[in-house]
Amino acid sequence: MKAGIILRSIFVGCLAMGSLTLSGFSPVPDTPRRIEVSVKRFAYTPAEITLKKGEPVVLVLTTEDVAHGLKFKELNLNSKIDKGKPSELAFTPDKVGDFVGHCSVFCGSGHGSMTLTLHVTE
Amino acid sequence: MRRLCLASAFGLLAVLAGCKASSPSKVERGVMRWTKHTVSVRNKSERNPLPPTSENIAAGKEAFSHYCVACHGMDGQNTGVPFADSMSPPVPMLNSSEVQSYTDGQLKWVIDNGIEPSGMPASKGILSDEEIWSTVLFIRHLPPAGSLGDPPMYSK
Repeated sequence: MKAGIILRSIFVGCLAMGSLTLSGFSPVPDTPRRIEVSVKRFAYTPAEITLKKGEPVVLVLTTEDVAHGLKFKELNLNSKIDKGKPSELAFTPDKVGDFVGHCSVFCGSGHGSMTLTLHVTE
Repeated sequence: MRRLCLASAFGLLAVLAGCKASSPSKVERGVMRWTKHTVSVRNKSERNPLPPTSENIAAGKEAFSHYCVACHGMDGQNTGVPFADSMSPPVPMLNSSEVQSYTDGQLKWVIDNGIEPSGMPASKGILSDEEIWSTVLFIRHLPPAGSLGDPPMYSK
């Protein structure tokens, strides 16, 4: 009786694994990719980052001068970057495309031209 | 030689008198209003890509309160701005028909490019396109005069 239950469990498990493999499932990495971004008037470094759709990521944002922000309206993301401590923006991109983020905390004359572009690929 | 000196002195006086900031006459205002609305301020047909949601209006209020506030007050109606009436031309009330009769596209153009020589600066690059469009939304939904207090830089 007990052996039957174990055998059936193994059979169901194998079926599940097989279907996941056939459907192209790839396991999500346990630890998100961390990307350091340095911020100062009026630029993000790097200014462009390429990500994979479905890959969890953490942008670690550190300001070198005054408070800044980073907002991606299309991705519904917004983070304030205070002076003195890194700010972490964790997300998993769920759509492919180019997304331009802007500084969301007014920081001076070049504030409106501060951008960071995310290229999200399949 | 004496005549030349006198002419120069009169010329200098005329120039200095012309530099004095004084209120424009009704005719001057009328001519300028017509010129701005129909000739110099462009982009009449461009539509605001942002819908007037409470979130977008709040974003406009936020951008306005960091930047435009120094001349237009927190409420866009010059509350607490000490020099608003002594500029020539005076800083316009943003809820006035003179301002509200611009299209959204024209308001965006004015914020982008400024209006010379009124004192309105060009702000393209200082604010992002999205911030400017949301500011236009805020200008269309201004709060009652005085309801937001004085600009922080003048009230401390």
